[in-house]
Amino acid sequence: MKSKRWWVPYAFLALPLTMYAIWVIIPLVQTLILSFTNWDGVSPTYEMIGFANFRRLFGDPNFQKSLLNNVRWLVGFAGVTVPLGLLLAVFLDQKFRGSKIYKTFMYLPMTLSFVVIGQIWMWILEPRTGALNSLLALFGLGPVGWLSDPSVVTYSLILAASWKQISYAMVLFLAGLKLVPNELVEAAYVDGANAWRRFFSVVLPMLRPAMVIAVTISIIDSLRAFDIVYVLTRGGPFYSSSVMANYMYVQAFHNYRMGYGSSIATVQFLITLGFIIFYIRHVLKKEAEL
Amino acid sequence: MKRALLVILVVVIALTISAQRLVINSYMSDPAPRRVFAELVDQFRDLYPEYDVVVNTFPHEDFKTLLRTWLGSSDAPDVVTWFAGERMRFFASRGLLEPIDDIFPQGFEADFPAAFKSASSHDGKIYFLPQSWYWWGVYYNTEVFDELGLSVPVTWKQFLDVCQTLKDAGKIPITIGTRFLWTAAGWFDYLNMRVNGLDYHLKLTEGVIPYTDEGVKRVFDYWGQLAEKGYFLDNHTSYNWQDAANFLFTGEAGMYLMGQFIKDVAPEAVKDNIDFFRFPIIDGNIGVYEDTPIDGFMIPAGARNKDGAKVFLQFIASREAQEYFATELGRLAANKHVPAPDAHAKKGLEMILGSDGVMQFYDRDTDPEMAEAGMNAFVEFMVFPNRVETLLSNLEKERQRIFE
Repeated sequence: MKSKRWWVPYAFLALPLTMYAIWVIIPLVQTLILSFTNWDGVSPTYEMIGFANFRRLFGDPNFQKSLLNNVRWLVGFAGVTVPLGLLLAVFLDQKFRGSKIYKTFMYLPMTLSFVVIGQIWMWILEPRTGALNSLLALFGLGPVGWLSDPSVVTYSLILAASWKQISYAMVLFLAGLKLVPNELVEAAYVDGANAWRRFFSVVLPMLRPAMVIAVTISIIDSLRAFDIVYVLTRGGPFYSSSVMANYMYVQAFHNYRMGYGSSIATVQFLITLGFIIFYIRHVLKKEAEL
Repeated sequence: MKRALLVILVVVIALTISAQRLVINSYMSDPAPRRVFAELVDQFRDLYPEYDVVVNTFPHEDFKTLLRTWLGSSDAPDVVTWFAGERMRFFASRGLLEPIDDIFPQGFEADFPAAFKSASSHDGKIYFLPQSWYWWGVYYNTEVFDELGLSVPVTWKQFLDVCQTLKDAGKIPITIGTRFLWTAAGWFDYLNMRVNGLDYHLKLTEGVIPYTDEGVKRVFDYWGQLAEKGYFLDNHTSYNWQDAANFLFTGEAGMYLMGQFIKDVAPEAVKDNIDFFRFPIIDGNIGVYEDTPIDGFMIPAGARNKDGAKVFLQFIASREAQEYFATELGRLAANKHVPAPDAHAKKGLEMILGSDGVMQFYDRDTDPEMAEAGMNAFVEFMVFPNRVETLLSNLEKERQRIFE
């Protein structure tokens, strides 16, 4: 009976697998192939040029800038937004007057797309009349070129993106906190542990799965940063806020260098793949334990 | 009654089926040109009811990246707006455009200036229909100039004095928005043409002259005089060209090196306070050259309705359509039988007729990839003038790679 119906799961999977192949696997392979060509994106023909794109890529100062900016995003997302999200979650997990309203406000940025968030921050960061510089002017400070000063611009972008990313981390931790059994915390309390001790020795270890997910997702999100960069600066001024995805877009679609753009995409894919494998292995391990 | 309705229904269906679809993708997204183009399309619909015309309008900067995708696809639009010169040739040389020689039964020169032919052709065939052209100049706010008792500068020295007076009065001497880079290329074009002349500039855009050449360095010396004294708008990389134009309209800024289309975005109330003068003369021994970009239309090789597209282009080439577009927007019509539509355009036309030669614009005259690298370097120079050596040597590496 069992062996007769071996094809049933495959029949159910056929449609999603076909779609996955068409929209993910095949383009992925095509990108890989294109990264070894000099295709300009419009000509009917192209030549295979071996590793030339990759050799040039690692001597390209603008690619190095973009890669470094991705590292900044990574540190900002994993090192700053995750702890802040945790802090907010612990705070909002308490029952106090209006805690539901606060929670809702904190959720709200989650519902906005990065394009909308970019537009909002454009108004905040505008150099002459923007909200942030107007506020600084009240204290006799500024103006700061939030989006035009090459040494500041990437941090402005990370700040804008964090607005959404923090609430994302918060949601993950709030869900995690719901799973912490109250008995454990109460037992610790009875044993005389103070609030700090209860948090670090009881609650935090219980949050470990949520933490791993929040950190890995943040890392993957930081590596695929694109939309907010595109909306706010397009990677400028002169590539100072460029990230890999953005540089790939400029090269492939603006400069008509599809081959070179594909090699950037390939490098980005390989870096991201490392984190994805780590994440999936972790999730699978958890499932096996359950 | 039912019968009548049925007849009407059948007729409508028959008409819809027989109507030929004509898809036009346009970058005319600023309100003024968008309105005028829509009116032109309405006139076309009245004349040729057999076409079912669909106009898709895209923001200018998005259009530039999307065009590549459309031209490469098998379901290309029938007509697209674009720029004359290298930017057209890039696609023509790859066989992505349809030659349109047959829409000029009396020959191109019968209706259009012979000087436009090379900018509209590739390899002896015409691929580009010029619709309108315009001049670049230093636009200024006449109220600000009157208030400070300034007169229009003719020489570089006078220009620097005007900048200083504006700066002392607490104004922004020169506004510019470099978020999309190309505005900086206007400065490069003019300084290079004024310092080194047309032949030199042409050779540079063709990739023959190295960016590390002494002549190029002199251009950046002059440019640096403006950048180092802080004559340009602060944080100009945050603004697009329209944002920066607002400072000119409000009188916070004095001048803006820009094309005539700046008038498209000027509010009615200040339109008459915005005038232009010829870019100042730096070396009296060198001829006077100007940028005069030509805008128009092309037919993709993959267009479905090429015959319809050609009918549309013929309509756009007609004296009436050219005159309507030029008059409504104050541009100069490409059709040489159309006179300059107003006093402002007359002044522009006279300036061009009084010049010794013209170019299109940096990003229309040079290779697209070179233009991207060049314009990024220009903007970086405006922010960090002391990086000039590194920037030029990097540009030279790019030039060698791209033009080899």
